[in-house]
Amino acid sequence: MAEQLIISIGREYGSGGHRIAEKLAKRFSLPFYDRNLLDEIANEKNLNQHDFHLYDESPRKFFSSRNVRGYSNSPEEVVARMQFDFLKRKAEQGESFVIVGRCSEDILKEYEALMSFFIIADFETKLERIQKLRGVSREEAEAIIRRHDKKRQAYHNYYCQTKWGDARNYDLTVNCSRLGLGITTDLLEGFIRAKLREQP
Amino acid sequence: MAAQIAAVLIFIAMFVMVVIDKIERQYVTLGCGLLTLGLVFGLLMRDVNAIVETLNLKSIITLEFWGLAKETAGESTTGINWATIIFIAGMMIMVEGMARVGFFRWLCMMIAKLVHYKTIPIFITFMIMSFVLAMFIDSITVILFLAAVTVELSQLLKFNPVPMILSEIFCANLGGSATVCGDPPNIIIGTSLGLSFFDFLQNTGVIALVCLVVTVVYFYLVFRKQLKGEVKTSANKSEISHPRVIEAAAHPIEEAVNVAEMPDPKSAITDKKGFVISCIIFACAVILLVTHAQTGLTVAFIGTLIAILTLITSGKNMGTILKKVDYKTLLFFIGLFIVVGGLEQTGILEVVAGFIGKISGGNGMVMVAIIIWCSAIASAFVDNIPFAATMVPIISELAGASAGIDIRTLAWGLSMGTDIGGSATPIGASANVVGTSVAAKGGYPIGWGKYCLKVAPATILVLIVSTIWIFVRYF
Repeated sequence: MAEQLIISIGREYGSGGHRIAEKLAKRFSLPFYDRNLLDEIANEKNLNQHDFHLYDESPRKFFSSRNVRGYSNSPEEVVARMQFDFLKRKAEQGESFVIVGRCSEDILKEYEALMSFFIIADFETKLERIQKLRGVSREEAEAIIRRHDKKRQAYHNYYCQTKWGDARNYDLTVNCSRLGLGITTDLLEGFIRAKLREQP
Repeated sequence: MAAQIAAVLIFIAMFVMVVIDKIERQYVTLGCGLLTLGLVFGLLMRDVNAIVETLNLKSIITLEFWGLAKETAGESTTGINWATIIFIAGMMIMVEGMARVGFFRWLCMMIAKLVHYKTIPIFITFMIMSFVLAMFIDSITVILFLAAVTVELSQLLKFNPVPMILSEIFCANLGGSATVCGDPPNIIIGTSLGLSFFDFLQNTGVIALVCLVVTVVYFYLVFRKQLKGEVKTSANKSEISHPRVIEAAAHPIEEAVNVAEMPDPKSAITDKKGFVISCIIFACAVILLVTHAQTGLTVAFIGTLIAILTLITSGKNMGTILKKVDYKTLLFFIGLFIVVGGLEQTGILEVVAGFIGKISGGNGMVMVAIIIWCSAIASAFVDNIPFAATMVPIISELAGASAGIDIRTLAWGLSMGTDIGGSATPIGASANVVGTSVAAKGGYPIGWGKYCLKVAPATILVLIVSTIWIFVRYF
């Protein structure tokens, strides 16, 4: 792709946003970053990625960490900042990619190449999906969804000025329960292509 | 009564906000300090004298404050401890000057070179270096450089830096307890109670030294397996393979590392002339601190003098050094002393001292045990500086009210409790925060579990040794 394109996908847990992001990466032939971002960072720094994954997309715990002269000893915060720096560096270098979550719609908002989407779904759709994917009961799935969404919200809102899931922060917010994952992906692809055509 | 309640509420609110860390702590203490001055002293007590005593500005313009009077007035624990603030500011300027010319990095690299880049000797010498440096320099700076060099060496020599960083943090806190200038709680205790460098060295210094031996043995036994992957040194470049830390964490290493490929300590020095001057100023600071009981010069004077010397000799870099001074911490101290002054002026601290005196039944050993262990437990979870600032007037009250209890004994207990207790958790002391942060940035995040598993037992061990030592020596 000649022009730089950065696709940021925020998502509710169980909405299928991750799957949509994967499909978009394939359709536009772009590198895809999610948890694997930490593997990239670990490889770059020659480190053990297992230590990083424990703290991925987690909010800073206020009572168990402190800041001293700009140094935070929250592993969650250090890992998050590493990811932000990595993404900003990639964007700065003119690279195109698809990124899932990691506050990307906020930390990369200064780049014109960014197109950001937030994927939501009806609670029933999410429940069915999680029950099927993880083989858990309805009650367990409900608890998992609530726990993950709460964590993502806390994570996002700590690092960003904007609120997680607030439609004003994204180019498009879509409820994929209405059209299903396939058509929603087509819709986003169409949106992206239209926007690319419009660019001077 | 209303003033007392307001003072306590402001104090609790300040502590909670400092712990939550949502608002920068200097704003928290200054805001609470202003509230103390306006609401407690102004509105509820209508006592201008309390405001004047707490601001304590008059003390700065006396000759005694600078150690220039022939006779010194009695020490005061009331209000803003300007001596502590001026001394810390002076040391910050000196340390910035030393950091600018590359002193700390040079020292770390030099020691690593002297022990031929062998992991276990580096581990032990860095612990001792951390202890010794922290006796004179703030532990944040000590750990900032030591941890950074440790991560760098770990990548070159292929060892896991976490054991070393944890040991260095512990030794920095321990070293800080040895002298009046080592740790902010000691500066507060020393300047408030008129205790000299040698007073500390002969008392907490001896305890800290004994504890250092215990600590080195403890950490060696705990970490020896992780550190056993020692690197063989070699002069042959062809034997070098590129290190991968991922493998280093999992397997013992028996590969050779070329000493010649290690960074030259001299390369750390950014300004040769400045380096020599910094070393001389540091030596002067150490001499002045060691001899301040004989010369009569106060720590405020020494701090001001070394700051002026550093700034004059830094030439065009004066602005850079001044910009790097941690003004936020100095403002934090000012607000903190005002809030504690609120507790003092309203008589709350007398009540707390009376309570401790009552539950100890006037028994000195019980009193010391309460002070050491309560200080340690509190310091493990909250910043030990506000705690020490609050406890100093309390131990003064306790010693005044109880016959046969030497305030110095209580001061040593408070010093050891606050300084050592802070080591127990990743948030207990500033050095822990900075050390674990540097480790995480280097790719080694250290959670509470990993930290406490190894360091909390060392803290308890050292506290037991300190308690026994104080009991045997002073009772």
